[in-house]
Amino acid sequence: MIKFITKRLLIAIPTLLIIIAFGFIMMRVAPGGPFTNERALPPEIERNIQEAYNLNKPLYEQFFIYIKNLSVGDFGPSFKYKDFTVNELIISGLPVSATLGLSSIIISLFLGSFLGIIAAVKRNTYFDYSVMSVSLVGICVPSFVMAPILSLFFGLYLGILPTSGWNGGSILNLILPITALSLPQIAVISRMMRASTIEVLNSNFIRTARSKGLKSSYIIRKHVIRASILPIIEYLAPASAGLMTGSIIVEQIFGLPGIGRYFVVGALQRDYTLVSGVMILYASLLIILILITDILRAYLDPRVKI
Amino acid sequence: MQSTQKNIKNNDLLLEVNNLNVFFNTTDGLIKAVNNINLSINKGECLGVVGESGSGKTQTFFSITGLLSNNGYCKGSAIFKGFDLISSSKKERMKYLGKSIGFIFQDPMTSLTPHMKIGDQLSEISIFHDNLTKKESLKRALEVLDIVKLPKSRNLITSYPHELSGGMKQRIMIAISLMCSPELIIADEPTTALDVTTQSEILNIFNDLKNQLGISIILISHNIGVIAETSDNIIVMKDGSIVENGSTYNVLTNPQDKYTKLLLSCIPPWLDV
Repeated sequence: MIKFITKRLLIAIPTLLIIIAFGFIMMRVAPGGPFTNERALPPEIERNIQEAYNLNKPLYEQFFIYIKNLSVGDFGPSFKYKDFTVNELIISGLPVSATLGLSSIIISLFLGSFLGIIAAVKRNTYFDYSVMSVSLVGICVPSFVMAPILSLFFGLYLGILPTSGWNGGSILNLILPITALSLPQIAVISRMMRASTIEVLNSNFIRTARSKGLKSSYIIRKHVIRASILPIIEYLAPASAGLMTGSIIVEQIFGLPGIGRYFVVGALQRDYTLVSGVMILYASLLIILILITDILRAYLDPRVKI
Repeated sequence: MQSTQKNIKNNDLLLEVNNLNVFFNTTDGLIKAVNNINLSINKGECLGVVGESGSGKTQTFFSITGLLSNNGYCKGSAIFKGFDLISSSKKERMKYLGKSIGFIFQDPMTSLTPHMKIGDQLSEISIFHDNLTKKESLKRALEVLDIVKLPKSRNLITSYPHELSGGMKQRIMIAISLMCSPELIIADEPTTALDVTTQSEILNIFNDLKNQLGISIILISHNIGVIAETSDNIIVMKDGSIVENGSTYNVLTNPQDKYTKLLLSCIPPWLDV
């Protein structure tokens, strides 16, 4: 187990390097730079700035300097938020994004699986039909449409929930963003769970369990769920990627001080270090999540050995 | 081959099926899979059911035990020890399923839950039906594994199905059906997926169950050779109906129906049946 985890973490290093290099090149290739303004700066000042940020050096040298700093955990200074380093920005934004992302993934995992199982057990009933049609809406309507609608309805018309702001992480402020973020995932997960549960329910070993005269609820709990949740575990990593990109939009709409907005603002303003920093963070999170997924799968399915 | 089961005493009757019909709702309309079947089995007797694929032999016994798929339903009666399995509610039928009636399926490879330890799959049934504790039922599991002649029983308890061979899995299936000391075991093609050596070992276990523990066995198979070895009586099915029934000896030596004759002619002449 420990051998497996170390091996996977070591493999992750070249993966991350490739992602860093790719991001580095993409940002430099994009026209303009962090200090391009409508009004051109005097050449002396521009030279000074470029020197301060090592921008006057050749590209490969800049890359090596960046990697060298990264290896000691220094993401470098932000180009646009002048008084902050990227580390400080990420540390200030991460709790917000992490709260949002983690609660969304936990809620969508549990609610989605739960709805999926019930829909599968009661298939072709009104419950099944309503869950499936609502989830179809959830899949079709993207979160950047859902978020303003929720905000408008619950925040303005009903006036029961705040439309934006973080407010020190109060639950009332979190309800709407988490809902907007989880709805599409709940929809996808419930549909996947329904399909896989139906497949498991029709399998031979469930017939055996039924021939033992066991209670249906017991059969679902002990025999069905562990087999039918496997595809959902596989989906966990792509779902998290979806939640991360979704959170960028949702944080913007609800005015939350997470790291998502740094990603957008950084990319628009060519804040090279900030974009790279957030990208590395997202990539590492995903790599760790995929690792957790593999461990979970081995735990759930004894046929998978790690 | 003993075949003097003619003098049936009424109190020996274990299961009696009367006018059983099984239907399936399909997109092509209603399909009748089993047509007016009557059969009976006594205590300690082995009944062999032969027929080709799709002759309704499996569905007959699925319908009795409530294992029909969702689009299927049945009419008729199946009296097990004075209790009608078909007209009763699911809840009442479940008291008999697994407890007094054990079921063994065709494909041992996929018939065990892949993510549960063998010990749990064995013990859950007597925890549920006999209110045993986990410890007691694991002890019972070891006894049962001994009956089906599985070696190293203690290791088996903690292993998973994929770690066992096909023959071992089928023995585990038989062990599961034996957990609550049933009076009837329905074995649906128990040897079809196994090689010939394992087949004869499994059939020997069935003979032991019948002769030593006095369990009645319904042996469903398309292989008349398998049936001939173990059963006292034979039913031959075709297209959902019974075309011939009688004692094994009579059916094999003096078949009346054309289809039975055809079935018997399928056995190569150098085999001694």
